[in-house]
Amino acid sequence: MTQKAKAEGVGQKHPCSAVSRRQFLILGGASVAVLATYGTGAGAQQLVSSSYVRTVVGKVSELVPGEATTFLYPNDDVENVLVMLGEEAGGGVGEGRNIVAFNTICPHMGGYMGAADFHAEHSVLGPCPLHLSTFDLTKHGMIVSGHAVESLPQIVLEIDGDDIVATGVMGLFYGYNQNPSGEA
Amino acid sequence: MNETVVNNRDYVPLPPPDAEILTTACSYCIVACSYKVYRWPVGREGGQAADQNAFGVEFPTFGAPWVARSQHNIGMHEGRPHHFVIIADADAEVVNPNGNYSVRGGTLAQKIYNPDTPTRDRLKYPQIRIGGILTPVSWDLVTDVMADISQYILSEYGEHAWGMKTYSYEYFENTYAISKLVNRGVGTPVYAPHDKPQAAEDAAGLDDAGINSFAASYEDWGSCDVAFLSGVDPYETKTVLFTEWMMGGANPGKQMIFVTPHRTMGVEYGIRNGGLWLPIIPGTDTALHLALAKIIIDNGWQDREFIDNWVNNRWEIESGYGRGTRNTRWQWRTTWGRWQSDWEDFQEFIANEPAAELEEAARITGLPAEDIRRAAEMIARPREDGTRPKTSFMLEKGNYWSNNYMNTASLASLGLMCGAGNRPGQVISRGGGHQRGGMSAGGGRGWLSPEKHPGRRKKALNVDRWVMDGNVRFMWTIGLTWFPAMLASQELASRVADMTVRNPNQPRSVDRDHLFEVFKERVDSGGMVLVDSDIYPVEPLNTQYADIVLPAAGWGEVDFARCNAERRLRLYAKFNDAPGEAKPDWWAIGQFAQKMGYEGFEWEESNDIFEEAARFSRTGVLSYNVLVREAQREGKTGHEKLRELGTTGIQTPIRMVDGQMVGTQRLHDPSNDWGEIEGDTFDRKWLYAFGTHTGKANMLKTPWTNDSWSDFYEAIKPRAEKGEIWITNGRVNETWQSGFDDLRKPYLAKRWPWPHIVIHPDDAAPHGIESGDLVEGYNDTVYVQTGEPVGVLDGDLSFSRLMENGHIRTTEGQFVAVAIVSDEMRPGVAKAAFNYPGSMANSVCHAVPDPVSGNYRYKLGRGVLRRIGESAYKDNFLEMSLKPRPIMS
Ligand code: SF4
Ligand code: FES
Repeated sequence: MTQKAKAEGVGQKHPCSAVSRRQFLILGGASVAVLATYGTGAGAQQLVSSSYVRTVVGKVSELVPGEATTFLYPNDDVENVLVMLGEEAGGGVGEGRNIVAFNTICPHMGGYMGAADFHAEHSVLGPCPLHLSTFDLTKHGMIVSGHAVESLPQIVLEIDGDDIVATGVMGLFYGYNQNPSGEA
Repeated sequence: MNETVVNNRDYVPLPPPDAEILTTACSYCIVACSYKVYRWPVGREGGQAADQNAFGVEFPTFGAPWVARSQHNIGMHEGRPHHFVIIADADAEVVNPNGNYSVRGGTLAQKIYNPDTPTRDRLKYPQIRIGGILTPVSWDLVTDVMADISQYILSEYGEHAWGMKTYSYEYFENTYAISKLVNRGVGTPVYAPHDKPQAAEDAAGLDDAGINSFAASYEDWGSCDVAFLSGVDPYETKTVLFTEWMMGGANPGKQMIFVTPHRTMGVEYGIRNGGLWLPIIPGTDTALHLALAKIIIDNGWQDREFIDNWVNNRWEIESGYGRGTRNTRWQWRTTWGRWQSDWEDFQEFIANEPAAELEEAARITGLPAEDIRRAAEMIARPREDGTRPKTSFMLEKGNYWSNNYMNTASLASLGLMCGAGNRPGQVISRGGGHQRGGMSAGGGRGWLSPEKHPGRRKKALNVDRWVMDGNVRFMWTIGLTWFPAMLASQELASRVADMTVRNPNQPRSVDRDHLFEVFKERVDSGGMVLVDSDIYPVEPLNTQYADIVLPAAGWGEVDFARCNAERRLRLYAKFNDAPGEAKPDWWAIGQFAQKMGYEGFEWEESNDIFEEAARFSRTGVLSYNVLVREAQREGKTGHEKLRELGTTGIQTPIRMVDGQMVGTQRLHDPSNDWGEIEGDTFDRKWLYAFGTHTGKANMLKTPWTNDSWSDFYEAIKPRAEKGEIWITNGRVNETWQSGFDDLRKPYLAKRWPWPHIVIHPDDAAPHGIESGDLVEGYNDTVYVQTGEPVGVLDGDLSFSRLMENGHIRTTEGQFVAVAIVSDEMRPGVAKAAFNYPGSMANSVCHAVPDPVSGNYRYKLGRGVLRRIGESAYKDNFLEMSLKPRPIMS
């Protein structure tokens, strides 16, 4: 079962109860790449990404501005949305720095937000069907209004010709204590 | 350590199977969700297999329990570094079943003191300001100096020159100690809680109707058919009450009516689910309630049976046994109950009240007449089969911090006529703000207050005004921001600065005799010695002004107890060490009181106070005396007994029924009548009837035009000729804590690094204001009441009479915030973040209290908006989302 299927399948109010769990292969000691650092001293914060698989997840030429599509990454259990926003975004790629990708599972308690929950007008994903959290896709998935104690995990993208390539993850997927890297 | 907390990593440590598990409740809003703390020594971690972690589940889990990175931290326990995971209790059966939580409680782990995180600024030592700089000293010296100067002030100037202002909610153990010091030690009337200038009721209209402000249980908000939500979106400020009980509960299909100028996410949800948004002009709720009452009466939709059984008629209201109704706070503050009514009289009043006419009410409130009519139908119209909708009424600050007395009294009357007040799903209650940790030691000195209601009746002292007028020589504040929370904030802060740091008498050394001499000269020259206790530096109160700063130990650092909005009592366990020499406030009070020579302050641990205070709780709605007596019978401490009840706790008042401790789900409910009184149970009529002399509720008349409101309202309305709009204030979900712990939690500090102001596009456009711009709100006429007027005749305390008699001063005020331009606001009303240090939105609000209740009209600010320039967040991807709050498909 995928992260999405599980989150959906367990009923809106009790995302965990009847879940059958499956062992995931987690790579230990993944090296860490620093994507950006801001602030100074002990309060400095870093956006980091472990070494994940590189996967082509879409084509720039096929993106319709304002419409979200979904893809699986870093493995087949994790679904994400891919969108071309109408504005520049943190971590955005492409000419307009507006192509971004985010996980579909709400980091509050696991509600599912798919392509239909994308609001192009505000570049927001949500509200989450469970408790209405919304996420700002221009600000690395920051909570706009709601309860998630973390931003929505962002998939790190690169452009390679017409290919949109996923290369890593910023944030911890809901339900995991360690992200899957996607490496076999 | 900092990596695990601050860095955006893709990994979180799991507690091993042998991690210790402690129970607590959330530190923040009144809901008080259930939490578990997992603690284990640094050096090892649990694994992903079910038998490798303390949860006994395999990771990934895809459901609770899950640990977000911000729910883990490293702190100290018995002097050694430990891992801490703090998550909502997935096994909870009450409050937050299945472990629901908000962004505030969800980040509790980041509150733990860890010098690698922003909590490194915790106050760690007592300090005295020497030559402007806070200098560490010993507890012994600091309490000596406090006692030396206090004794001098008390003998020279009397108890009216010694005051305190403290939180009302930070656990029974601390508030009882404060109350004992103020009332029984010093014996001063100069005391006010954190959120008010005076010690008096929040929602006095409810009290006068006989309704306790916290009579309801969460299940009532879950099971009602219609929720009338006055001046509140519980989604923002009582989050799990909304997401668990109101979106869910026994009746998830309930309709919600929101009366607030701000369309936040909960309001949007309500609109999409058969509800109604009434974006009211600030301060005009009374007119709305009057119009609703008239529609209901004209159509005969009132709950006749309930009124017959539960509302005082003319004879009942006048019946008195000795005291009768005459000698009550109700009658004092309303000048002999001039608004007292009964059902017959009330109907006549409504029939003749101009503001109750639909068109007039629509004009006053700025609401469409058809929406008012629709609201009346929703809350009161019987269905075709003759059954009535079960309607519950919630009120919060938008209601009672505007036209305090009239809004609360008129809501009580409206609710009563709809049959609400004491039955499942039919309640009238506050939603609540902070948790309920107030416990009085009795013996209050209110009668020493120099203020009087007309008729020279007892009225609580306005402490802020008393300070500003230069009457206080020693002031001890505990756990509050004071200035940004009160009104005309800049004026108040400036006066306090005059009397402290700007007074020429400033200490130059930490010698005890020198300090006493300097402080003596300070107070003899009209100055004031200011002591502040807190866990953090608080700008500007203890960073700039306080002479003495005391470090406090708080949530998770000491065993404490308190209740939530449904009076559920839980133990908040100590699980980590407080930093440095930080001590619980009760301890500091004990040290000081003993040096003052007061008896009964020799507590050694917080349980000593919990047990001592139990006896004083007996007559109140937070009574837990039965629990402590039961614990003693079992040879346990009171805290131990409470700890056994875990995150479920027990709802106060606690009673003994058939030899068992029984909690009380709902107040005033006749089904609480349990017959024979057992053991240490205390019988109070309000348990099974309303809190009046007869047990029936009082209907109160609330004329829109009256001498405690109308002239004030006319004076403080935005002036079109100046281009002013309403500038109200309030809290939103992620920064409910107004930048206290919030700003020490990296994720929340990124979300709201600086306070915001939401402005409608129509109000922003003329000034060229865009989202992300810095905007100043400025009011050139901020009224501040001065002196301590004594009411003799009716109307003596009205705004115009105060003005005539020179008791109103005109000042100005401003603040700067980051604009969010969005049509979620009613045009003509902007809403600023409340109580933010560094941006005191209350500076544009008037420090003139409601003369009936003494409460300020906090939400009625006004001013012009000015664009200053772009904020750092306008084009930045890392901090402060500027998106609108209500976004829905
Ligand atoms: S809803 Fe209130 S009590 Fe519950 S987690 Fe949030 S802040 Fe804490
Ligand atoms: S799961 Fe609660 S808001 Fe998404």
